[in-house]
Amino acid sequence: MLELKELTKHFGEVKAVDRVSFRVERGEVFGLLGENGAGKTTTLRLLATMLKPTSGTAVVAGFDMVKEPEKVRKHIGILFGGESGLYDRLTAAENIEYFGKLNNMDKDELKRRVQELTEIFGMGEYIHRKTGKFSKGMKQKVAFARSIVHNPDIMLFDEPTSGLDVSAIRDVHDFIMDCKKAGKTIILSSHTMSEVEKLCDKIGIIHKGQLADYGTIPQLTAKYKESSLEEVFIKLVGEKI
Amino acid sequence: MSLKHVWIVFSKEIKDMARDKRTLISNILIPIILMPLVFTLMGGGISKMEKDIVENVTVALSQASDTPEIRDLVADIFSDNPNIKILDPVADPVEAVRNDRIRFVLDVEKDFAEKMNQGKPFHITVTFDQTDTKSGGSYGIITNAIEQYAQKVTEDRLTKMNIDVSILRPIEILNEDASPEKGGGNLMLMMILPMLATILIAVGGIPAATDLVAGEKERGTFEPLLTTQANRMSILFGKYLAVTLFAIICVVAQLIGVFIGNIVSPTFLTMGVPGADLKFHIPTLALLLTILITVTLGMVFAGLQLAVSTYARSFKEAQTYMSFLMLIAMLPAYATMIMQPDDVKLFMFFIPLLNAIASLKLVLGNTINYSYLGIALVSSLVYVFISLILAASMFKKEKVLFRS
Repeated sequence: MLELKELTKHFGEVKAVDRVSFRVERGEVFGLLGENGAGKTTTLRLLATMLKPTSGTAVVAGFDMVKEPEKVRKHIGILFGGESGLYDRLTAAENIEYFGKLNNMDKDELKRRVQELTEIFGMGEYIHRKTGKFSKGMKQKVAFARSIVHNPDIMLFDEPTSGLDVSAIRDVHDFIMDCKKAGKTIILSSHTMSEVEKLCDKIGIIHKGQLADYGTIPQLTAKYKESSLEEVFIKLVGEKI
Repeated sequence: MSLKHVWIVFSKEIKDMARDKRTLISNILIPIILMPLVFTLMGGGISKMEKDIVENVTVALSQASDTPEIRDLVADIFSDNPNIKILDPVADPVEAVRNDRIRFVLDVEKDFAEKMNQGKPFHITVTFDQTDTKSGGSYGIITNAIEQYAQKVTEDRLTKMNIDVSILRPIEILNEDASPEKGGGNLMLMMILPMLATILIAVGGIPAATDLVAGEKERGTFEPLLTTQANRMSILFGKYLAVTLFAIICVVAQLIGVFIGNIVSPTFLTMGVPGADLKFHIPTLALLLTILITVTLGMVFAGLQLAVSTYARSFKEAQTYMSFLMLIAMLPAYATMIMQPDDVKLFMFFIPLLNAIASLKLVLGNTINYSYLGIALVSSLVYVFISLILAASMFKKEKVLFRS
């Protein structure tokens, strides 16, 4: 479970995130939909405790992110879009192990988990090879495995499909659905309408740091008397431009 | 801060760096190979020059002086110097010397024999090129030979007059070297080692520091790292230790290069003087203090480099800032290169970089002063602390970490 309470982040005069509140239940996929610069990444960085809020807070897996950031980090996994962000000179296994160790996993537990993840993502052939010469798809699988090595309850996906080709996007979507099936609480930030429609149980539309509204797609379309999420988005965002 | 996390980050960074062939080759392998090569080329050059100055001295008479009597006189003057070769007379002495056809041209007064018989002085004009190293270097050999001949003539005259020749030398100078076994041997080492060691320890960590934060930001590995349970100070300290170790390894590689170079070309560090040995009598404590001072200098710069690398938006931006840092390290090192241990001043031991240079110069010059070394170490530790605070403050600043 994850709950944001008036979460606010200012960078000088700029209100990057402005009193954002919502709740995501266990096993739910919450889509944060917004244009570039709307505050999606800042919200996820706040939830990942990489940034400290100016005011407000969030309760992540029962822990207050301001008071107990390290305990919060124990329960979250994060996957960023674009480049997979791997260490090229380390093997796939070493990349995954590094994050497992930094998440306080013990040696035996980590060994078992790497084996398990290798099987889940079909990385057997290249798990002990350096990632520098991997294809984008191979790197992506390692990045998936790395993000869930410590078996987090909550997954944060920050525009995970940005810059990817069709098959890689499909892999990311499958991974998100697998996480959902595993009962993880998920927040997915995206500016792609079809992606959030396909994957999310609830959607929050964020604009200029403020959460314009949130709910399920039927709830939103009914509320704003529009035929599609896109129309709702344009209505909410367009009204505020 | 968790020591466990510090160790995990440190060991990962070391493993990562150990696999970076490009950095290893340019920072470790090349110095080991390059130093012996420099020593061989430069040391060989110095030795060759020294040998040439002493052994290949060419002398000719001006055509105006080319008479049988003068030829005999010149042969007599240089009879004890087999290295001096007398060549054919030259028509234009200045042209011959300038064009390096001959090193010295002698012009002797034609009526020298008459003047000598009358007990009067006569002139020998020596034409040479003072700006030419070889000509200038051999000048002493020529003038010494002429003066010895003149002295022999004087002694013969006094003997004929039954006067003791010692009347010409009322005072004889006796030399006694009071230096603590300094010799000339350590001179080159005192010049180059403090310079090399301080520059290298100060800049050696740059490739690692640039890669470890700015590089990670660029490759997209930095943000995932910050979401792990390791807190920022543990991550910073792990990286800090890795950068420091890398800088130390660079200095050690350079010292290995110097050591091999000295074996390959022993005359380089003794400035081409084959007999002048390197003499060290460094007490263990002084050696230990000097190593510690040098290492702490590396720690100061590792902190600064990580602060700069954290501030930079990209790898390229970090490299630009690092070049200024490199300049800061090089200026005092070059400025004090020819400074001798006796010239070292107390204030130098309070200033970063200068304190390490001054300590190395003292110890290599066999001038041990524990108070000075102690001051240098304490001041270095203070600077380590300051640089760490700077790096930590950068690492905590959201505006800096997420600059884009």
